[in-house]
Amino acid sequence: MSEYSSSRSTMTWLLQRISAIMLVVFLFTHMNVNHLSLGERIIDFSLVNARLSGSLVWKVFYILFVPCCVFHAMNGLWGIIADYRPSDMVRRVAIALLWLVGLALTYFGADTLINLFKA
Amino acid sequence: MSFKGFAGIFVNEARLNPNIGTFSYVLHRLTGIGLAVYLIMHTWVLSSARSGPEAFTQRLGTVQTPLFHALELLLAVGVFFHMLNGIRIIIADFFSATRRHKAIFWIVMILFVAVMTWTVISVLPKLFGH
Repeated sequence: MSEYSSSRSTMTWLLQRISAIMLVVFLFTHMNVNHLSLGERIIDFSLVNARLSGSLVWKVFYILFVPCCVFHAMNGLWGIIADYRPSDMVRRVAIALLWLVGLALTYFGADTLINLFKA
Repeated sequence: MSFKGFAGIFVNEARLNPNIGTFSYVLHRLTGIGLAVYLIMHTWVLSSARSGPEAFTQRLGTVQTPLFHALELLLAVGVFFHMLNGIRIIIADFFSATRRHKAIFWIVMILFVAVMTWTVISVLPKLFGH
């Protein structure tokens, strides 16, 4: 029981909200720039590269956006799993898997930014 | 009678407490799971083509067909519902506005309709080719 009411839970509850507020800005911008129309342009490498190489703001934007999004998703999934009161075994496996997936996604995202876009 | 399992929790809650709070909780959770799955696919689909500019452009091309743009509308529903309902949760949590959460729900749903209108206007031309 103590593990469910620890200060760590309070910290992740707060971090979920802090990352949420950041994602409101990040995701609304990302959706408008990349997923919605903006003049019916087809998005390709050069379009994204021009944006990322042209300004420090976009580099910082994506370097923060990726881990922020990944944390919010993995911590959100953990919140759902924890609601079902899993056994210690299931908890450990789930947490390990979420960390693995989260770190892998952060690595792939960062590697794309750094090595493909030279961000 | 009570149901068990993942879906059972939703069914029980909806029967015992058929209110806005329950339905928004169910939708928040389902869109959250959907978005987490999408995030994994999205990151993998693009980053697995990071070997060079040509590969990246080609991969971006495969996900910019009318079918994918139609699916993008579904993505926007998930993103914007989760985002706006999340704002409602944060307002209720941080500003002691729990007793006004139903009114806040309808306010954010008006915003949801506005954002989705903008989204449909933006995406609609792409459903018929660029």
